[in-house]
Amino acid sequence: MQYRPTTTELLSDVAALLENEVLDAVTGPLQHRVRVAANLVRVVERELLLAPTLAEEERYRLALVLNDFDADLADLRTRLAARLDDPEPLGAPWTRAIYDALRATARDDLAIAKPGYEAWTGE
Amino acid sequence: MNTADGLAAWLSAEWGEPVTIGGLDQSSAGARRTNVLFEARGASRSARLAATIVPSAEIQILDVASEAEVRDVAERGGVPVPHVHGVCLDPDVVGGPFFVSDRVDGETIPRRVLRLVAQGGVGARVAAQIGQALARLHAVDPRTAPVALPRPPGARPIDHALDLVHTAVAGLLQPEPAFSYGLRWLREHRPSEPVALTIVHSDVRNGNLIVGPEGLRAILDWEGARIGDPMEDVAWPCTRMWRFGEDASTVGGFAGIEPYRAGYESAGGTWDEERFRWWRVLETLRWGTGLAGQAAAHLDGRFRSIVMAGSGRRVPELAYDLLSLTRPA
Repeated sequence: MQYRPTTTELLSDVAALLENEVLDAVTGPLQHRVRVAANLVRVVERELLLAPTLAEEERYRLALVLNDFDADLADLRTRLAARLDDPEPLGAPWTRAIYDALRATARDDLAIAKPGYEAWTGE
Repeated sequence: MNTADGLAAWLSAEWGEPVTIGGLDQSSAGARRTNVLFEARGASRSARLAATIVPSAEIQILDVASEAEVRDVAERGGVPVPHVHGVCLDPDVVGGPFFVSDRVDGETIPRRVLRLVAQGGVGARVAAQIGQALARLHAVDPRTAPVALPRPPGARPIDHALDLVHTAVAGLLQPEPAFSYGLRWLREHRPSEPVALTIVHSDVRNGNLIVGPEGLRAILDWEGARIGDPMEDVAWPCTRMWRFGEDASTVGGFAGIEPYRAGYESAGGTWDEERFRWWRVLETLRWGTGLAGQAAAHLDGRFRSIVMAGSGRRVPELAYDLLSLTRPA
């Protein structure tokens, strides 16, 4: 087992270095790339903390929508996308259930990718 | 020849007198365009100008002569654009074909634009002015458009856009059910094709505007001009990507839709609510697939860049926006 810092602690340190020291030391287009890189390190940090729980919740939501509790998440996502691509009507209740599941997933994905983006609930 | 010497030589020939170039400032360098601001001084006159240079002819969407021509056509129709003085197709003068236009002062950086507009309390005016400018562009007879402008096959912009975005969704690196949901919505809500096609700019939004404390001064970046549905132009600045955090102000973070629509209609535009809503969804999904495409270009080595990599992780933003626009009744 590795000694401390943990993975997420290390990522936080790398992000802080990029944000607090490297960003001030560079200019022009490189500054933009450093800002993007720092943000991506933060994304990965949140992903390591949140993704296992959120992925299981997404799997469960899609299992309910597709009535299949044995398939893994990637398989469920592929099947749902294929069903949505199929022009066969879904009916209003099923459409609503799919929509609600996708919206919940979109909110969870944003908790990793861009926290706060989901605060705006209008169009 | 460097840029200053090249511009001096070209302008000397244009003006018929020796011209010197000063205050050269490369204002922006995109992937396809470099914009250079400068002052030209001759014996009889001087001018503050901007050169738009295409570094490589291979990556241009629209050739510079046609871009200059569509700006002229738009200007004659009453759209605020920096006046074009001339086009040079010789790639050796400044390292690529270019055109020279008036340099319009003002703010172009989106967040600074929003700050300036908020300070002056002119958000509703800017939204109305954008609406008016679009209506004037859409009122131009499309038969006067440059022949090089892309046109949708069969004069069916709705079908064409849907086909393209369908292909893009099918080509995603992994299924994105929210995008499939959006695509399904677009199919089920497909409006009828517009009765009349017009010139569309295709990228009128905060970032391609020059704004002063009193309001809109000019619309930039005409390389995406084509023939299309006027409502695709009207919908574009209303997508969330171009509000820069000012989400409650639907039109580019400037204001709500009312003054924008009033401006569009007051200048003779015909607002179609059904197509307006449809294009907002289409354009949001198209932007989402575009971000996914950037990530793919990074991953397969066509364009390695941390920024392109980061685009892949922006897909959830567009998935969320898409769902916000397509709630079931």
